[in-house]
Amino acid sequence: MPPASILVAEDQTDIRELLVMNLRSAGYDVSAVGDGPSALASQAEHASDLLVLDLMMPGLDGLEVTKALRARGRSTPILMLTAKSTELDRVLGLELGADDYLTKPFSLAELLARVKALLRRADLLRAAQAANAGEPRMLRNGELEILPAKRQVRYRGQPIDFTALEFDLLLHFASHPGHVFSRGQLLNAVWGYTHDGYEHTVTTHINRLRAKLESDPVRPELILTVRGAGYKMRDSPS
Amino acid sequence: MSVRLKLALTIFATGLLTALLVVATVVYAFQRFENETAYRRGMGFLSRVVSMYDNIFDMHEKDAAAFQAWLRALVLFEPDTELYLLDGSGTVLAKTGPTPLKPGTRVALAPVRESIEQKDASYVMGDDPERMDAGAVIVAKPVRRALAQGGSREAGYLYLVLHTQQLPADRWDVLRSSFARPALGAVLAVVALTTLLAALIIATVTEPLRRLTRAVATLSQRGLAEGLAVAPGSALPAPTKDEFGQLTSAFEMLLDICRRQWNALRRTDHFRREGVSNLSHDLRSPLTATVACLETLDGRWAESAERAEDRRLVEIALRNTRNAARMVQSLGDLAKLDEPEFSLRSEAVDAGELLDDIAVRFAERAARQGVALRTLPAGGGANEGEAGPRALLDVELFERAIANLIDNALKFCPRGSTVTLAAARRGNRVAVSVADDGPGIPSADLPLLFDRFYQSRPTVAPATADGGRGLGLAIVKRIAELHGGDVAVESTVGRGTRVVLTLPAAIGTSSPQDRARG
Repeated sequence: MPPASILVAEDQTDIRELLVMNLRSAGYDVSAVGDGPSALASQAEHASDLLVLDLMMPGLDGLEVTKALRARGRSTPILMLTAKSTELDRVLGLELGADDYLTKPFSLAELLARVKALLRRADLLRAAQAANAGEPRMLRNGELEILPAKRQVRYRGQPIDFTALEFDLLLHFASHPGHVFSRGQLLNAVWGYTHDGYEHTVTTHINRLRAKLESDPVRPELILTVRGAGYKMRDSPS
Repeated sequence: MSVRLKLALTIFATGLLTALLVVATVVYAFQRFENETAYRRGMGFLSRVVSMYDNIFDMHEKDAAAFQAWLRALVLFEPDTELYLLDGSGTVLAKTGPTPLKPGTRVALAPVRESIEQKDASYVMGDDPERMDAGAVIVAKPVRRALAQGGSREAGYLYLVLHTQQLPADRWDVLRSSFARPALGAVLAVVALTTLLAALIIATVTEPLRRLTRAVATLSQRGLAEGLAVAPGSALPAPTKDEFGQLTSAFEMLLDICRRQWNALRRTDHFRREGVSNLSHDLRSPLTATVACLETLDGRWAESAERAEDRRLVEIALRNTRNAARMVQSLGDLAKLDEPEFSLRSEAVDAGELLDDIAVRFAERAARQGVALRTLPAGGGANEGEAGPRALLDVELFERAIANLIDNALKFCPRGSTVTLAAARRGNRVAVSVADDGPGIPSADLPLLFDRFYQSRPTVAPATADGGRGLGLAIVKRIAELHGGDVAVESTVGRGTRVVLTLPAAIGTSSPQDRARG
């Protein structure tokens, strides 16, 4: 199997050079460009397995490149680099289709770990899609029904809408009933993040799942807290 | 007391005083008129007597009793009048009054002389021999006595006492009913009317002042930020062309100065935040490149033994660069949190549960440092025993604040210490505490603890000196403020430190639902 191909789009030469150097020594097939339009042109020519995009670039910025690629139907995983640390930026990037975010200054180890996680996740997704190509499997836990292929959820017979991440989180819980996950593990498994500092997102999403599913979110019956350890979905009653 | 009331009272008092003065003057004038009338009457009477009888003194000497009877006969038709014969020293020799006098009763001579010499006097007050303590209107005329060798000499006086003081009761009644009462009524009516009118005028005149006061009070209530945002000129009543108008204009000018300075201040603050934010932003790329370089070197030399010393240098450079990077990050974050536009994304969460989750993040580091990190059972969890207190908070910022506090506690606490997290409902607030039994903080340092760039305690491990030196607690404070809460610290040297964040509780049972759907 050939090494995964990565395109680095970063306008700052020093950082670009360092990224290329380190990704190459990690064994990836790396190419690099200095602005947004070149990144798009390069992708039109040859689709990479993963993109590392700087948010602030001349021509087209990282968000615009992401948007253009997604508009072309490309689901290539994208790791966005940014010097802006506001949460708004983070959310914007994720909603517009970037898969992960790194705030400058970051450590190379962190970057390499994220790249690895994103590539592995893309592989898993492809494998899952291939496996699900046949009949749609249904996950059931009491009155909770999940159709992973259609991304549909019914609870007590009522269809309930979830955002993509909420659905992924619920699916993860439902696939492992009774299994306790720490927030860090959930962050890694569902979001693909491997580092500290985003756990609050898990809290917020569990909060939302409970608000949508539990009749009394203060005393949840479906997504349970295990003090000092994490969260789990109750064992399937069957 | 308001100026209005003061003015009205002053006018009322002045009116009343005027009325009293008028009445007093009337009474006085009436009295004086009575006295003058009596005096003139007495003077006429006495003049007639002395001009008709030039041997009065001789008559007395001849037969005192007959003389007294004669005197009485003289005043028979003169009401309220007593007539006396005095010798040259003022001693009473004969009298008409019924009251017996002490022998040798004497009256003062000065009024006697005044009555004789001052022809144009309105009236003269002198002694009343019958009632020496009270005065009376008197008239006196000299009485001469014929001398043996011919001619005559002044030998004494005829002394007339007119009892005007003791007006008959009916005269007083007449005075009261026919003069004083109508006058008093009129005066009082005028006073009342004047006061009313004055009050009206004062109200009209001071109305602009009241409007101005109201406007200024409203401005100060709404505070600088909002009040000054009002367009110039519209906050205060339109200036009139009098003193109040000038005052209004003066206030308007003052307000304008405040407004300009406030705006200047806001601009400066904005530039400061922008500056810090931009600086923090601009420093990120060079720091990223530097860290990446050092990490690359570090990785390359990891295997080679002869590079061990170089690697040591790279490690130091890397650690320091990372510290600088963290500081830059904290500065940028603080600038972000300081922005007026910054808004929380609050949701109702179980604070106890969240503390548990945050503790999990630090479990490994605490274990490595030999510090026990625990969450009090009171903190609660959603499924074991009681649920923890639900608070309305921005999970990311809250977690940031608690993480900073735990990080701080771990930084300063030696091996064997305990760091305790707890959350408890207190009324409509939730108190979240991070307590340790570490070295504590000197009380002198406590008030400064949450100031930016302040750090009192030497860290336990200087080699792992923190980035964002002193900024961690400033961020905690800012996060508490953004939540409408506060942060307090209590510490005893040698006993430990306890930091308590007070945040709004989530009221109502269905709050998470509302918020998550929104």
